[in-house]
Amino acid sequence: MGQVAIEQSVVQKARPKIRLLPRKQSKRRALEFYLFISPWFIVFVLFGIIPMLWGLYLSFTNYTGYNFSHLRFIGAENYHLVFTDSQAMQALARTAVLTFIGVPLGVIIGFLLAVLLNNKVKGLSMYRTIFYLPAILPTVASGLIWQMMYQTDGGILNTLFGFFGMKPIDWMGYGMAQPSFIISGLWGAGGGLMIYLAGLKGIPQSLIESASIDGANYWRQFIHITIPLMTPILFFNLLMGLIGSFQNFLQPLLLTGLSLTGDPIQPIYLYMNHAWINIFVFDRFGYGLALLWVLFAVILIFALIVFWSQKYWVHYESGED
Amino acid sequence: MVAGKTKRQFNRITLYIVIILLCLIFFYPAFVVFANSLRSYTSTSTLFFNGFHWKNYLLAVTMIPFGSYLLHSLAIAGISVIGTTMMSGVVGFGFARLYGPGKNVLFIIILATMMLPGIVTQVPQFLIYHRIGFINTYWPWVVGAIGGSPFFIFLYKQFFSNIPKEMEEAARIDGCSTFGIFLRIFIPVSVPVITTVAVMTFQGSWGDAMSPFMYLSSNMWPLATALISATYTLNGNANVVLYPVLEAAAIIFAVPSIITFFVGQRYLVEGIVTTGLKG
Repeated sequence: MGQVAIEQSVVQKARPKIRLLPRKQSKRRALEFYLFISPWFIVFVLFGIIPMLWGLYLSFTNYTGYNFSHLRFIGAENYHLVFTDSQAMQALARTAVLTFIGVPLGVIIGFLLAVLLNNKVKGLSMYRTIFYLPAILPTVASGLIWQMMYQTDGGILNTLFGFFGMKPIDWMGYGMAQPSFIISGLWGAGGGLMIYLAGLKGIPQSLIESASIDGANYWRQFIHITIPLMTPILFFNLLMGLIGSFQNFLQPLLLTGLSLTGDPIQPIYLYMNHAWINIFVFDRFGYGLALLWVLFAVILIFALIVFWSQKYWVHYESGED
Repeated sequence: MVAGKTKRQFNRITLYIVIILLCLIFFYPAFVVFANSLRSYTSTSTLFFNGFHWKNYLLAVTMIPFGSYLLHSLAIAGISVIGTTMMSGVVGFGFARLYGPGKNVLFIIILATMMLPGIVTQVPQFLIYHRIGFINTYWPWVVGAIGGSPFFIFLYKQFFSNIPKEMEEAARIDGCSTFGIFLRIFIPVSVPVITTVAVMTFQGSWGDAMSPFMYLSSNMWPLATALISATYTLNGNANVVLYPVLEAAAIIFAVPSIITFFVGQRYLVEGIVTTGLKG
């Protein structure tokens, strides 16, 4: 949501600074600045940077949670293990596929909902609330809701489909679990609605009017004005969705009613589930941390790819054209 | 002309039909689970209300130590909301209105940590907390609240940057300290962003199931963590799960999130729009 703002604040920073205050006063000002930001900075260093570096170090050891006195540096063995662990690699591929389908779909559906509601409809706030509601429910609540929906025996969806004479479907079985997983995620697609609506409102009316005078119909206006002007917001939501989706952990757990932990060969056994089980069930902390660092690298690579792709599809107001 | 008008009316009607259909689809899962939370647990799943067994809600809060979980949820949410809302504001003010060498670099670090996947720091953090005896205490949340949150610091910074400089200068001439200016000039005009941050922090901490799982033993869990593995089973037969009761519990758990959303809705929109988009 803040992509535009981020860009602007970075640009602002580039301006040359002019000294407005005498040296002594500016020193005092600087002290005050450091004082105000110190809560964040101290916590960031003590409980952000230090744990991260320590975690990085531990990922090169045989740490199991209690063997501090026998900690052994084992080089890149944990990392080697990650890439040869077929469960981890399959889970990573699965997570990536579900992310690349689910996240763009979610962004598109959220955006289209906003476009629909941007037509001066009566009762806007009611529709907006209904579309937004699933996104404000805690994950645990929405996860339990979909667990009820998807139950094979007497579940809500099967009851509904049975009403129309259809046979019960094994929603969490091999064939259906992944589509079911994505659908339950798309229920929260309205999460970006507020920002999309605000963005759509921000499109200058003069642009739309001059386009209609030039004879552009609604569809052409949508393709050539609305979408390009919304791409910075769509980009930001896509990026944040991607980062979040790779870390998805709770949803598969809730949908399957915890049975994931028992049987890892499942269509929605995700990478984070694998890391979590290794850390908190098997106490393989060193290995688990290596799993997390690999995930971090993967997220970073995909985030950079999305960033790089910006120049092909994201439109920024440069004031030149 | 007449044909054009008819066509436009037809388009309007189609638009409303599509919107209302979509509303039904989006609303139905929440509605049907509510309807099912009120069915008798001896009946099968229902597609519409088939009874009003409010007793399920009583069972939901009595079959598990619900009150204790609720207290822990409130404690965690309380610490997070009060601390994060205040401290993010203080730091955001520093970045918006004060100057010191290294400010740009520090702000870029904040933006970068916004993008950082939380899990990479969470597990090592757990290990550190374990070493210094923070496990089974609320200290992890206190520490987290003191540090504020990068995204909220960013929101505050954007909002504060838009406040006219004249107000600040007038107060400074009158001898007001920097902290006084923050407290008396900036805070009173920042209700939208403060509400936005408070509501979002509440929803985040209320729904967070993973941190409590790491930092607290099961008797200290909040509702979010407890409900994942809550066992609402028939007395004497652990194989019979009382789904209506579990549904009732999920709904009770969701209510505070919904209420805070409605309370903060007006500001939420305003706060997100003014801070996030315009900059």
